Amino acid sequence: MNGEDPQERPDSIRTVINGLERYNPEAAGTLEGYLQLQCEEKFCDCNANRALLKLYQLNPDRIKDEVITNILVKAMTQFPSPQFDLAMHLLSPSHSNPAPTSASELAEAVAKLRALNAQLEGAQYERFWATMESDEDYADLTTDIAGFEEMIRVRIAQLISQSFREVDAGVLEKWLGLDDLESVTKFVTETCGWKVDADGLVHIPKNPENEAKKTEIREDVTVDMFARQIKRSWEETV
Amino acid sequence: MSTFQNGMAPIRAMEDDSDVEEEALVADYKEQVQYEDLDDLDNNNNALSAQQPDDLQARLAQAAQPLDFSAPLETKFQSYDAYCSLFHFILNSDGPVDLEPPSYYWAWDVIDEFIYQFNSFSTYRARIARQGNSDEIQMLRENPNTWGCYSVLNVLYSLIQRSQITEQLAAMKRNEEPMAVAGEYGSKNLYRMLGYFSIIGLLRIHCLLGDFSLALKTLDDIELNKKAMFARVMAAHFTTYYYVGFSYMMMRRYGDAIRMFSHILVYVSRTKNFQKNAQYDSITKKNEQMYALIAICVAFQPTRLDDTIHTALREKYGDQLLKLQRGGPESLPIFEELFRTACPKFISPVPPDFDHPENNIDPIEHHLAVFMDEVKTNMWSPTIKSYLRLYTTMDLKKLAGFLDVKDDELRSWLLVNKQRSKQLRWTDHGLLDGELVNVNDLDYALQGDLIHISEAKVGRKLVDWYLRNLSRTYA
Repeated sequence: MNGEDPQERPDSIRTVINGLERYNPEAAGTLEGYLQLQCEEKFCDCNANRALLKLYQLNPDRIKDEVITNILVKAMTQFPSPQFDLAMHLLSPSHSNPAPTSASELAEAVAKLRALNAQLEGAQYERFWATMESDEDYADLTTDIAGFEEMIRVRIAQLISQSFREVDAGVLEKWLGLDDLESVTKFVTETCGWKVDADGLVHIPKNPENEAKKTEIREDVTVDMFARQIKRSWEETV
Repeated sequence: MSTFQNGMAPIRAMEDDSDVEEEALVADYKEQVQYEDLDDLDNNNNALSAQQPDDLQARLAQAAQPLDFSAPLETKFQSYDAYCSLFHFILNSDGPVDLEPPSYYWAWDVIDEFIYQFNSFSTYRARIARQGNSDEIQMLRENPNTWGCYSVLNVLYSLIQRSQITEQLAAMKRNEEPMAVAGEYGSKNLYRMLGYFSIIGLLRIHCLLGDFSLALKTLDDIELNKKAMFARVMAAHFTTYYYVGFSYMMMRRYGDAIRMFSHILVYVSRTKNFQKNAQYDSITKKNEQMYALIAICVAFQPTRLDDTIHTALREKYGDQLLKLQRGGPESLPIFEELFRTACPKFISPVPPDFDHPENNIDPIEHHLAVFMDEVKTNMWSPTIKSYLRLYTTMDLKKLAGFLDVKDDELRSWLLVNKQRSKQLRWTDHGLLDGELVNVNDLDYALQGDLIHISEAKVGRKLVDWYLRNLSRTYA
């Protein structure tokens, strides 16, 4: 699973999340610091972040709204993956289903992030960028995460390369949330190493995913599979 | 106590699903049921010869007794206190307590009942908070720590640590003698059994709190195979597979979830003829739930099921399964219905907000809503798969015309379906490990607006069929 156990995780954090220390309310500080580091250094440790959410679940008085939203945004960058949902499951129901009368700020923010995540999970990339533009709140919610937009853009490009051999630059412009064809050309040639031809068609190099080769799943038969029968028949004759 | 010793025999690292193994376990189980009375007799003798005070034996027996669901709040409080003092006695006496468990099932029954009462207490407390019954609210307000999540977790973790069960299981995995690392507590049956079943208890609690990956991680030291210790207590066997399967499903590992549910359902169908009635009744409900969960998983990931399972699934949920597999918005209520009937009774780990009854949302609604996000994301996959299957190349605009959707919409559906065809599948080691495999028999790539489609042909799987019939013939 993406972003589950990154190499960047220091030993001190490993000790916390693998032992009973993960239940110590005081460990929240350490994990919050680690989240901060993830936001700055552009890596993601959803496993450790869930330990933090768990502490909040058990000790609601310690909850810091912006930590929860940062964890969700970090999990979102791993799309498509269950990471965002796994984090959601650890929130209190009142954070995800705001009561109509008393919606807290946190509940509203979570609802917004959930909608954003659904767009990424549903490969509605154009809508995602439009949503990001639609309200200043989105910029506020993602501001702590260094390089958020760029990470999303690179991830989208990576996913496209797994499904497409050729794709229209106009389509890419919308999906990558870029302003004009010029920046699309710049992004796909410099960041992705793809080629753009004169007709504005982007060529993506072959990879195992975008080949869609015909395969036949055959059964491998080995002697081992029959070991029991052979043993049995031998025993019976003896 | 001979059965008990067998259960602790070093676990051979093997994943063997052959009929012969199954047969052996079934036979073993039959034997166990028949000799159980004899076992009890033995234990009584043991207890007498050790001359333990009756009072203590009574407390041990009491801890394993189910509490009536409709028991008044006072009784639930008392029961909590009784557990606390019993566990305190077991864990914090001067050195290990010299006690034999009253029966082979005792340790499982105690942990099971302890968690069941915690679960139903939490559910009850949340309901009272929503409804607002003043007398009881006052009492619950004054005792926020009764049946508190931290104390329940504390009991389970303490039992695990005291018994050194983790170390023992690790030793068994290495084919070494567990007693060498068991310590003065862990070498006693009482502690070892309580420690072992506390691990399964943790699996359950983490799942009830919505921490599905931690739930699976908890079982790192236990190998899920027919030689595992829990397999000797039917209810434990059953519970373990239900919660592991459910956690896999919530982590989108549908293949692994189906494998778990199928394993246990096949086992139950093979043993049901000689289950004791009372035990079997309690299993029946979970049985139905697991069929519902299989239906959900199969809808996400079409899979060839075991014949027994397939037939039973069609009998129980035939109509629903058809609708799930067709996808689209009409399938959503069915997903919700099946999830509601089959999910564990999720709880919130902290006391509810008694002052604002409307803020106390049932955790089931929360988990369902998050789960449904993923269902909605995937709901068009069956539709596009059914079309793509008919062609080797197809123009995107033409297909969009067939489906009456915009080009952009269709591109998203195609991307989603393609992305979801990669799934982690368990092969070895911990339950969370696995390798990425392609689970879809349909693959495609887009060249601009041209969809190239290729279908993976699955050759007939003959070995399994052959082995099954062979063992039937010679049985």
